Amino acid sequence: MPDFSKTSKEPVASLMLPPTNDRPIAGPLVSVLLPTYNRSRYLAEALASVVRQTYRNLEIFVVRDGGDEVADVVRSFADSRVIFIDRKENRGKPFSLNEALSRARGKYVAYLDDDDMYYPHHVEVLVRALESGTGGGVAYSDLYKTYCQVLPGGSRVVLSKHVEISRDFDRFLMLYFNHVLHVSLMHRRDLLDKTGPYNESLNILIDWDMTRRLAFFCDFQHVPVVTGEFYSPIEECDRISVQRRKDPQEYLRNILAIRTTRPAQPWPKIRDLSIILLVDRVDERTGDTMLHIWRHTFYPYQLYVPLAPSEISRLNVEMPNVEFVPVEPGRGEAERLDAALRKSDGDYVAVVPGNLAVEEMWVEHPLYALNNSTSHEGFFLEGAGPGAGAAVFRRADLERARKAHPHLSLEASLAAAGIPVRAAKEEELPFQFDELLRQAKLAEADGNWRAAGRLFEHMAEHFQNRLWMKVMAARAYFEAGDHVKAGRLSHEANRERAAVDTLLLEAKVHRHKGDFATAIHLLGQAEQLLGGPCSGVAHPERGFCPA
Amino acid sequence: MDTTQTNEIEKHKRTQHYEVLRELGDCYTSVGNYSQAQRCYEKAASLGPDEPGPYIGLGVAALQRDKLDDAEIAFRVACRLDPKCARAYAGLAMVAQQQRQFPQAFDLYMKSLELDTDSITALLGLFQVSCEMGSFAKVIYYLEVYLEMHPGDSAVMFALAALYQKDGRPEQAKTMLLNLLALEPANRDAANLLEEVEHTLAEVK
Repeated sequence: MPDFSKTSKEPVASLMLPPTNDRPIAGPLVSVLLPTYNRSRYLAEALASVVRQTYRNLEIFVVRDGGDEVADVVRSFADSRVIFIDRKENRGKPFSLNEALSRARGKYVAYLDDDDMYYPHHVEVLVRALESGTGGGVAYSDLYKTYCQVLPGGSRVVLSKHVEISRDFDRFLMLYFNHVLHVSLMHRRDLLDKTGPYNESLNILIDWDMTRRLAFFCDFQHVPVVTGEFYSPIEECDRISVQRRKDPQEYLRNILAIRTTRPAQPWPKIRDLSIILLVDRVDERTGDTMLHIWRHTFYPYQLYVPLAPSEISRLNVEMPNVEFVPVEPGRGEAERLDAALRKSDGDYVAVVPGNLAVEEMWVEHPLYALNNSTSHEGFFLEGAGPGAGAAVFRRADLERARKAHPHLSLEASLAAAGIPVRAAKEEELPFQFDELLRQAKLAEADGNWRAAGRLFEHMAEHFQNRLWMKVMAARAYFEAGDHVKAGRLSHEANRERAAVDTLLLEAKVHRHKGDFATAIHLLGQAEQLLGGPCSGVAHPERGFCPA
Repeated sequence: MDTTQTNEIEKHKRTQHYEVLRELGDCYTSVGNYSQAQRCYEKAASLGPDEPGPYIGLGVAALQRDKLDDAEIAFRVACRLDPKCARAYAGLAMVAQQQRQFPQAFDLYMKSLELDTDSITALLGLFQVSCEMGSFAKVIYYLEVYLEMHPGDSAVMFALAALYQKDGRPEQAKTMLLNLLALEPANRDAANLLEEVEHTLAEVK
């Protein structure tokens, strides 16, 4: 059974060892993909950050996706590892990535955007994680989001650096939304044989489409080390993806395309869901229900609609992942259910009456509860009451009930087979962490910093994302005036991974105590991290320190 | 997330580098490393050109190095950026005080106190300037108000006692000093002043 809450708890200390001059860093070939479009002014910096990696066994694909001429920039590096694909026509990022991947030979693939940068240990840290034998096939690190002001000449003034996303892998969340930055990602190249290539019909959320598909096949290992940075201009962002997100129709089109993508089976990490829509005739409501299922379901599914052939021909719905199951006219609901059940093959089966109000999380909530249940039971779909015949089951349980009692209604056959159906309890729902996070942030917004700090600390102890929550708790306690706790937590966070925010926080605590020497030391570190392109190396105690 | 919190985050995105440099400048100032403090404040000023903080820091660092002209310029910039900046007026007052322009310093300390009645720098500066000028009524009033809000502040209690004594009010000075010594029995300055006050009282009798 897939464990949606599974995260890698591998100790990261071994991944943070500093590279040494007397230790040659050898290992499998890594293909780094760097597509570029009209950002020639930043490309040199981005490419330099790849060329100067401590891990040397690289092939570096620079793909010019039309736009500015960049041949001079690329040639200036005079590095035999750089492979330049010089295309005048702008075909989009997914096309460029696929073009490079078709020529890539590396065991692993890494990505960089043309205005971002790796720190020198980026590839080394991720290769070590992937080669450490946990077998995930995908690893990712943390990045600074660097807010900057772009001056008229194009140079960037760094205003702040924040680790805004440091989230442990959560498969269920990955199906819903992306929490892994693509620039921080490295994966086995052969996984693309299973996921398929980048989807060239997408123009936003291209990265999430791939990470979501990768999640069907393996676990991701989160290495909470800052290994690079991506820039975010404080004024209007020039990123194409940001601009396109402003078009709601286009955004929805991309979201739905991603959510309904079903890579070829088998899926070792995802159990398939068959949704059986039970209607006896086609009316306006039927089409609406199908569209709502399409819009509001993020868990991978195939929709089965058992209907008489004459009714099927009346339906004019263009949506993916739908299979019509012809049944003889006049057949009852139980017979139509059984016909669809025979046709479908999902590990889970959701039975949906035509009048169900389908809304966000309608099937994911009960499905998550079912996935974590050890009993033979079903769970009512959101919005369905007892007796509505709307629930989700394990296929084996539903088949057992139906085969034993084919002449009974669904509810009666389940009761006869001893399979209870109930509503999921609050504590059985997914995204418990996110709910607590929401509560903590509400407490912050109300100025109740101490309560927020306690919640963050509780989350650090009992949920994933320990380091992230510790940092949040430190900040909340500082705002609450509890400098002892803020000092302890920020110190612990800095020993694990010194970041600008936590260095500043710990320094403030020391300054408040009159310990100016320590404050100066910490602020000096923060200043170095902020002071421009960082030539950092991994450090066994602090995770990162500038060279 | 409400608008206030969003705005706070937005502000923090813009000011983190500035904040690090300003904090660093303040720490260097506290340990007397004024050249490093100046470097940090200058960088902070370039990142936060609308913020008075780095200019106040630059003014303080210059003042500590007796560069009164530089200090005055820095404090004036801070005043221009924030006409309600009490610290900037206190800085200008300190410059005037160092230049022995006591009436001007007095007015500037008063201006600073109007903007921030909690400013201990302005209060004590006012005390010093008043002593130089022999004019105590206004500063006594401000120190009394301050003490009502911050009872037990020994520095202000001592200053007020000294002013009472200078203003010919030894009884009030004695009461204040006895209160102070109850809080800090080892306060030698207070004990010495009390001795002087009691001597005055004995002479009066």
